[in-house]
Amino acid sequence: MISEFMAWLQNSPLGHAMRESGVWTYAIVNLTHILGVATLFGAVLVLDLRLLGVWRRVTLAAIAEPAVPVATMGFFIAAASGVCLLATKATDYIGNPFLYIKFPAIGLGLLNVVVLNCLPAWKERKIRNLSQREQSQLAVAGGISLLCWLTAITAGRMIGYW
Amino acid sequence: MRLKFVLCFGITIVALTVSLSPVLAHHGWSGNSDKEFELSGTVESAVSLAGPHATMKVRSNGQIWDITLAPPPRTEAAGLKEGVIPVGAKVTIQGHRNLDPKKFEIKTERVIWNGHTYNVYPDRK
Repeated sequence: MISEFMAWLQNSPLGHAMRESGVWTYAIVNLTHILGVATLFGAVLVLDLRLLGVWRRVTLAAIAEPAVPVATMGFFIAAASGVCLLATKATDYIGNPFLYIKFPAIGLGLLNVVVLNCLPAWKERKIRNLSQREQSQLAVAGGISLLCWLTAITAGRMIGYW
Repeated sequence: MRLKFVLCFGITIVALTVSLSPVLAHHGWSGNSDKEFELSGTVESAVSLAGPHATMKVRSNGQIWDITLAPPPRTEAAGLKEGVIPVGAKVTIQGHRNLDPKKFEIKTERVIWNGHTYNVYPDRK
């Protein structure tokens, strides 16, 4: 299943374009990927540390306001450029163990975003003070998030060293 | 409390980095033998300048070898453009073979063809 998907991706017009559009293409797309990851993780780190209880004097709503859209933007830049990088030689990565750590970690990270968005504590952060229990709930989500994205980035970096 | 947290976070990242450093293979030369390795054969598939590393395949005694060249801009700068060496041409590869005996891969320093040496890593001996 994965082998077939990788072969399909590699033979897609995107794969051809990545391989046949000049010697600097991969490097530039790689740079874009790093900028996307940096944007995502920078924003996520600030938000997650606040969820974990650092900088309590700054309200969660005040930190979330810039952090959420910046993280979202970073994610889409990283995802789009990442698909391009993968498509270049997709079949080369079939047996790469780090790939099988990275993508589940991204999946969990996104699932955590969905769960966080369903929590009343998160939805009502702008309109009322949160109870101790709710703050702990958010701290757990922040901790899981940090773990997921750190794992995804670490495994992602290691793909190239396998 | 806050300082302790930040400190723990920093130590975790450093520990992760240190513990994972022995796996470095593709980007460095540590996954390949220290000894110089030479292989002669015929080009099975021509030079490709796709990232992250330029590649070609060489057949020698029935075995197909993966030839890892320098990154694309550097390989091209050494004169090794796509289509320069035709498929089926006799070439000699100099470099370092993969430490895994089951992997027929050479991190290549030089490709010699038709009396010409393409030195993709001129700063390496």
